[in-house]
Amino acid sequence: MLDGFEILTTSGIVLWRRHYTPISSSLIDSLVRDVFIEEKQKPGGGENGAPSYKKDRYTLRWTSAKDVGLVFVAVYQSLLHLSWIESLLTAVKGLFIKAYGQELKAAHTLKVNTAQWDPTFDALVNRLDTGSTRRQSDTIDSEGPTELTPPSSSAGDDADEPPPVPAPLFRKPAIPIKRDDLVGDSTSTDATPIPTPDTSRPATPGHAPSHLLTAKGGPGKASRRSRKAQTFNASAPASSGDESSPGHNLKGGAKTAAKGKRRWDVDGMAIEGDDDGVLDYSAPATPGPDSTERELDVAEVNTSQMGSRTGKGQFVLKDLDDEVDAILASSSKPQQRSNATDDTTGSGLLASASSRLTSLFRNVVGGKTLTKADLQLPLQQMQTHLLSKNVAPEAANRLCQAVETDLLDQKTANYTSIESTIRDSMTKALTRMLTPTSSLDLLREVTSITSGQGAPARPYVISIVGVNGVGKSTNLSKIAFFLLQNHFRVLVVAGDTFRSGAVEQLRVHVRNLSALSQREGVGKVELFEKGYGKDAATVARDAVAFATNKGAQPPGGSGQMLYDVVLIDTAGRRHNDSRLMSSLTKFGQLANPDKVFMVGEALVGTDSVAQARNFAKEFVDTKGKLRNNGVGMDGFIISKCDTVGDMVGTLVSMVHATGIPVVFLGVGQHYGDLRGLNVGWAVDKLMK
Amino acid sequence: MKKLEDWLTWALSPSISAILVTLIFSLTLPILIHTYLYKRAVAKELPTFLLLGPSGAGKTSLLTLLANGTPSPTHTSQAPQTAICQLPSTTRSSEDKYRSENDTSSRSQPSIQLLDTPGHGKLRHHAISSLTFPTALKGLLFVVDSAVLSSAAGLTETAEFLYDVLLLLQKRHTQGKTSKTPLAIPVLLVANKQDVFTSLPAGLVKSKLEEELGKVRQTRSKGLLDSGIGMDDDGEADEESSWLGEYGANGFKFAQMREHGVDLEVVGTSTSGEGEGEGEGRGHECWSWIGANV
Repeated sequence: MLDGFEILTTSGIVLWRRHYTPISSSLIDSLVRDVFIEEKQKPGGGENGAPSYKKDRYTLRWTSAKDVGLVFVAVYQSLLHLSWIESLLTAVKGLFIKAYGQELKAAHTLKVNTAQWDPTFDALVNRLDTGSTRRQSDTIDSEGPTELTPPSSSAGDDADEPPPVPAPLFRKPAIPIKRDDLVGDSTSTDATPIPTPDTSRPATPGHAPSHLLTAKGGPGKASRRSRKAQTFNASAPASSGDESSPGHNLKGGAKTAAKGKRRWDVDGMAIEGDDDGVLDYSAPATPGPDSTERELDVAEVNTSQMGSRTGKGQFVLKDLDDEVDAILASSSKPQQRSNATDDTTGSGLLASASSRLTSLFRNVVGGKTLTKADLQLPLQQMQTHLLSKNVAPEAANRLCQAVETDLLDQKTANYTSIESTIRDSMTKALTRMLTPTSSLDLLREVTSITSGQGAPARPYVISIVGVNGVGKSTNLSKIAFFLLQNHFRVLVVAGDTFRSGAVEQLRVHVRNLSALSQREGVGKVELFEKGYGKDAATVARDAVAFATNKGAQPPGGSGQMLYDVVLIDTAGRRHNDSRLMSSLTKFGQLANPDKVFMVGEALVGTDSVAQARNFAKEFVDTKGKLRNNGVGMDGFIISKCDTVGDMVGTLVSMVHATGIPVVFLGVGQHYGDLRGLNVGWAVDKLMK
Repeated sequence: MKKLEDWLTWALSPSISAILVTLIFSLTLPILIHTYLYKRAVAKELPTFLLLGPSGAGKTSLLTLLANGTPSPTHTSQAPQTAICQLPSTTRSSEDKYRSENDTSSRSQPSIQLLDTPGHGKLRHHAISSLTFPTALKGLLFVVDSAVLSSAAGLTETAEFLYDVLLLLQKRHTQGKTSKTPLAIPVLLVANKQDVFTSLPAGLVKSKLEEELGKVRQTRSKGLLDSGIGMDDDGEADEESSWLGEYGANGFKFAQMREHGVDLEVVGTSTSGEGEGEGEGRGHECWSWIGANV
């Protein structure tokens, strides 16, 4: 059962919504944020082009119309599996754009009048909803398949009630079984209550010439059964609905010849001899003088527009269901259509030469509508360009796909070629990927944690992880230098208990840094180490406890924390070594760092993607959820950027793999060579 | 050929008819050219007001309120949206500053263009680019969520964005390449969601943001250098240029921005609460400010 359906624009305004149960607005907000903006979910998932997104026990399926800037979202409980949602989405998209597409294409449209849309949507849901997951509708279903005869025509002596009303009450149990056959059928059910011509339902005498029934029911209270028998016997078979058929004529004439007009008075006695009275209140059987006017009033009708003939020879009207069928059928075979349009219209040397000239001309002047073939070659070149900048093939592929979906069927601006349009689009895509959702201000965060706003003051814990030899210890000392310049007290923890000389290396760094800081009179830095061979996680935990200094009560001083920031170095490890990677999980849980930064070197190639992914998925908390809102780590530090020059593609690969932003760049081997990321600079370098 | 010769002879001869024709031609041709050219250039740009702010503040909701009179339900925006609307009849625009209240002559209210931008971190470039390349930008509405400002995270995010915007305006003002200073853009700080129980009143919003902006400018000045440091040729390493407000002052106050041409006002509003009073509809605070700055 559908919980809700919304139609919203890309600028966030909800054009129409239908909530069957209350849904919080944050569901769709998080869909927009996670999927459309932050692109955390890889596109193309889900069957039949209606990808799904799960949050909080709800599943959301959506489809979008790029040209008018609309998104259609269907919400239902994750426990259910509704197979008809894709067809619902496709049908709604087709019908809504057909109905309101013009209004939406005009600029500055903030809302559309959706009064007529509600019944259309209800009809659509009723039609597509199958079987057990169908929601009971409130209104009585007055439609019915033509094959089912209304049971009341044979049963029921209630002569007073007009035929149509009791019929639907009996039809309801039969529907779930019959529906499945009918959905694919081309014989349509009458969804809209339009007056059908009489002869469309020859099998249902109850619906037969209704005007005849009402007229004759007045004066002569014959039983319904005999009345029906009369009309059934005398009515003409299925024909073109001509009211003045000769059959009626014969019927009227025959009656007056065979029987005298019988009238009854209140006592039940027959009144004789009133041959002048007119008892037949039906429409004139013979084409009288005024009937020609009526024929002229009838406008020319194109029967193929109104409906079609079924195999059985019945003329059934085209209506909502046919439109829906057409939309669903066309959506399931888009490939054949696109292939067909690839054939060139002109043939011969002259036509092909002129078409090539015009396309060249259009390429320079602009105003060309971009097709897949147009974009293929330039996008290939763009992808090669990105690969030459050391971007991983997976990331380059995804960026090119994004640019292609963005530019397909768009027109180029004036005097811009396809290449420059693609460059612009690629720049935008790269900027969007590299820009973090919220930029990291390390000093502010450290200050707020150590000064204890809202929570008791405690040290700020940062840990550095990465594979072997990327520059973890060097970048850690650069960060320590930066923090020292800002008057913080830093504790450096030698968490690398494996590699020979790791502790000594850090000791040298700390000695240098303390000499520098003493000279300038800022901050304090110390080393915390427990030698070699110990478990890194326990070393980290002891270090944090030492820095917090809760237990110790030195004489003359309260249990104040000794250090503001704790920087924990870890051992380098291969990302495909599962034993070493699993020890990271324990480390993360025991040390409980505020920030986990992974160092990646700018020189690494395709391996960066796998490295980033494997490291990110190790940092789960005790409940099994990835920390930092489900991404795992807090940032990347890309080291050795000065050695690669322009080829900074590793930035893109690592961000693409995990969605974690780049926070620092290492640009040298001295203590001051640490920079923040400027997105414009990076994109510039990549597109140069 | 002969006819052409004859015609040319006539045209260059000093006959009255030739003189008259020349006179008429030379007088009407410039007029025709003028009307043709100026008819095409009639498309005047409407004064534009930019709506920006952190995600979830209520910008799109405010846009629908100002454009349609009632707010529509909204979700997170992915793309900017423009709307053209007219000042309501109860608002006085700056053109009517010197009109008496009892002036009954009919006047048509000016129409304005509102530009709503997404507030999500990744999509803020729309707002920033509209600021740096302004086209008839008459004012800025910075919408904040008053309820989220009581939490530290929300306050930080809002303050950082506001800092970026104000610094951009200040730089635009102080570092113009020509001696003519660009037109100052007034800023209206809209404290939205006043109907929520935990929201802070407008005055408190102002003081909290001032305090937070002071902290932000402190840490930004001490922060790491950008990787794109060699890019700009203007020599951006100047400390004073990236210090918001008064250089060397202890705390930050919005009044310090006035010397850089940034006039900041704070109003409180609520897009989904009930309308106050019969004479004024919802959003009237915004309208009166917009009217004063058109």
